[in-house]
Amino acid sequence: MTSPDALRVAYLERVAVSDEAGAIAVAADALDAGVDPEVVLLDVVAAAQREVGERWAAGEWTVVQEHVATHISERVVAAVARHAPAPPPTGSDTVAVACLDGEWHGLPARLLAEVLTRHGWRVEFLGASVPAAQLATHVHRAGPDVVAISSSLASRLPAARRMVEACRATGTPVLAGGPAFGEDGRWARAVGADGWAPDARAAAAMLAADPEGPWFTEEPADGTPVDRAAREEQAVLHARRAELVRHAAAAVRPAVDGPGDGVPDELADDLGHLVDFLAAAVFVDDPSLFDGFVRWVGSVAIPTGLRLDEVGPVLDALAAALADSPRTAALLRGAHGGLPTPVA
Amino acid sequence: MDGRHGVPTRVADVRTPADDTPSTAPAPAPPTTVGPGLIDGLDEGVVVCDRAGVVRAANAAARALLPDLRVGEVVDVARCEVLARAVRGEGQGTGSFEAVVDHPEGERHVRGRRGPVLGPTPPPPPEPGEGDSTWFLRDVTGEHARTDTLLAAQERAAFLAEAGRALHGVLHLDRTARRVVALAVPRLATGAVLVMRHDDQVTWAATELGGGRPRLGHTAASELTRVPRVAAALADEGGGVDVDPWLAEELATLTGLDAPGSGAPLRACPVPVTGVVDALVVLAGPRAAGDDATDPEEDLLSSYVARAGAALAAAALHEEQAHLGAVLQESLAAPRLPETEGVVWGAAYRPARETLRVGGDFYEVVGPRGPEGRSAFLLGDVCGKGIEAAVLSGRVRQSWHALRLLEDRPARLLPLLNTALLDAVATRDEGPRFATMVLGDARPQEDGTVALRLATGGHPPPLVLRADGSVETVPVAGMLVGGLREARFGEAEVLLGPGDTCLLYSDGVVEARGAGDFFGEERLATTLPACAGAPPAVVCEHLEQTVVEWLDGHDHDDVALLAIQAPA
Repeated sequence: MTSPDALRVAYLERVAVSDEAGAIAVAADALDAGVDPEVVLLDVVAAAQREVGERWAAGEWTVVQEHVATHISERVVAAVARHAPAPPPTGSDTVAVACLDGEWHGLPARLLAEVLTRHGWRVEFLGASVPAAQLATHVHRAGPDVVAISSSLASRLPAARRMVEACRATGTPVLAGGPAFGEDGRWARAVGADGWAPDARAAAAMLAADPEGPWFTEEPADGTPVDRAAREEQAVLHARRAELVRHAAAAVRPAVDGPGDGVPDELADDLGHLVDFLAAAVFVDDPSLFDGFVRWVGSVAIPTGLRLDEVGPVLDALAAALADSPRTAALLRGAHGGLPTPVA
Repeated sequence: MDGRHGVPTRVADVRTPADDTPSTAPAPAPPTTVGPGLIDGLDEGVVVCDRAGVVRAANAAARALLPDLRVGEVVDVARCEVLARAVRGEGQGTGSFEAVVDHPEGERHVRGRRGPVLGPTPPPPPEPGEGDSTWFLRDVTGEHARTDTLLAAQERAAFLAEAGRALHGVLHLDRTARRVVALAVPRLATGAVLVMRHDDQVTWAATELGGGRPRLGHTAASELTRVPRVAAALADEGGGVDVDPWLAEELATLTGLDAPGSGAPLRACPVPVTGVVDALVVLAGPRAAGDDATDPEEDLLSSYVARAGAALAAAALHEEQAHLGAVLQESLAAPRLPETEGVVWGAAYRPARETLRVGGDFYEVVGPRGPEGRSAFLLGDVCGKGIEAAVLSGRVRQSWHALRLLEDRPARLLPLLNTALLDAVATRDEGPRFATMVLGDARPQEDGTVALRLATGGHPPPLVLRADGSVETVPVAGMLVGGLREARFGEAEVLLGPGDTCLLYSDGVVEARGAGDFFGEERLATTLPACAGAPPAVVCEHLEQTVVEWLDGHDHDDVALLAIQAPA
């Protein structure tokens, strides 16, 4: 069995039953059968992990099941590194790989680190959810040639900005990666990164072609650099997050606004994410970021989470509470217009 | 300068303008009387011309500025083509002009404007004729020189400011070295090499105009014996070093690259002594060939080199400190967990000062020893935060590692640890240092269960997450460790069935305070059931994530979690 698709299916079966040893065996057998380790990492492990994410979004898996799957995949990545060790680095160039602060999905970055190691780089893997200050300390101490930051959540973009600034103060180029930066990487420009790669293979190819960057060739067309007004409104949203979540929850589920903290965790999580994405959209001044999230949150089937028919009233409630922030209010009104009609 | 008006002049060296006016213009009758007039008193040069461009009058200032200007001759003779054209009404702006004119004392910048027609009194003004014009001339050479000087000074200041900003943005020594040479090109030189000695290592960085990213290399300081001139220049205490033809060869020896500037003269500029690094900047190309000590470019060069020296010294000091910190961090950082037969471990650690990566919380796990195959574990929290707390936690952990070899019963081990901590504090001028902890051991049994023995002092009680999702608190408590010699501690035994997990945690978990309330024991207990059956690493990771999300960016205490599980 060497076809990536068949391997992925077999792998996912093992992961679904929390069979760590079985999952490692699928990967090890593939390597023994001559499958390229990069294919095992990206087309089996990473591809299966994407399906795990889809199952969670579809409400088939709980968040803990997803964590268990991710844990198994981490172990498999380590096992692949042991089973088919990467050749020693070919040069002296070093790349530091880090997840954005607040980004707990460390696996894509871990996979990137493995892939870059196999492409001859010296790799320093800083892990999931790296605070900007920790990254700055690392860059000053270790002096990597390139910093690669990874995130799947666009709501972490304000953190990305802080991390990029920490690196740029030292003249270290930053390559951004992952869906957090938009389908075409436009938000990578907005936060000041020097380039964007859609996935680990593309990142390896870009770094091989040009180890120094900047990889963005032309000046930003539609991704505007973050300005002061955007930062201020984003800061307001961040500071008022808890209050806004309660306010929005009360607007759609008046019954739960009794004494005590009666908001279901799932609803509070969804509303918290909604405020985070709103803040990120204000931050990069791009309504499509927020519209994308609003469409997505309506499509996710999480019991007691935010329902599609509640999204509109939530947007109205937030717009009323945020009348002092003109950009934010405009974004909320715009997103309201683009809402799909709830299915009766 | 003292040309007298009215005196006929040679016209042989007149630079003839494009048209032929000068030679063919009819010479008007010269004014009858010539003497100092009102206009002679002006600082501004005044020239009165008629329509044909013949100078009717010119004051002393005008004659000083344009020594060839003669009354009665066409203005072209004055070698000021712009004035000649302006008088004839050519050129775009007819009201004013600015030009550079030859002058015995060097080029002068002349600014002219057209003014109202004037006549000298006395002598009586020439009858203003139709089309007459009067020109006021001013020497603005000094103004221009000042402007140029100012602009040049501004440019130098801007360069230095930008260089300073760029140099001090970096604290990594190699990157600073690269920047030192990168910033010098092209403003100061066409190529630059930095040689720097720091401890027993020599670092060099080299760049070339259009050569891309600077190259960098390291070599042992002993290699300097092969390059005596570079070594001598490095030892030099400031001051310039003469251009030395052997320098290029020595640099090539040191770096293995061709000398910079492809044959251009090289100039060695020792970096002023900083007490931390010895450094030498070698610049190539004409910009570096200044020999006038008062030349502002020289000033610029020495200012740049001084800034480079300060940045290199700061980076070198930071590197030493960072290394010290990294070694310390490494020794105090959370340990790797062992792989043990019959027991699975998981842990999570998030120090309060996240950049420090260490804190006052700690955990340790040691794999099975002895015939019963007991694995020992410890999780605790010393008072305080940051590096002081981390160092104290290191002392506690070392004591535990040593005492554990002598006494493996947790209920006996903890009092020993208490005494050790009190004794250690007594030998130093320190206030009492308390710690709270849970320690114990885990013994996997034939039937797949794991037997735990626990002892605790001053620490939140452990939780047990059963495989079915129910959560129990282990009822055990005790007094602070390191407080009193006769302190009393609690002990307990727990049996973990397959899939059961025992969770030890520090108070940073329950005392995490977000925008609203504390995280609290209750929330911890309601978060756990969802993790039933998950590997212990996932349990800890999930809890850490939940706590950090609860914090929502607020400051927090150290957070440590250790989970012990009997495999399902």
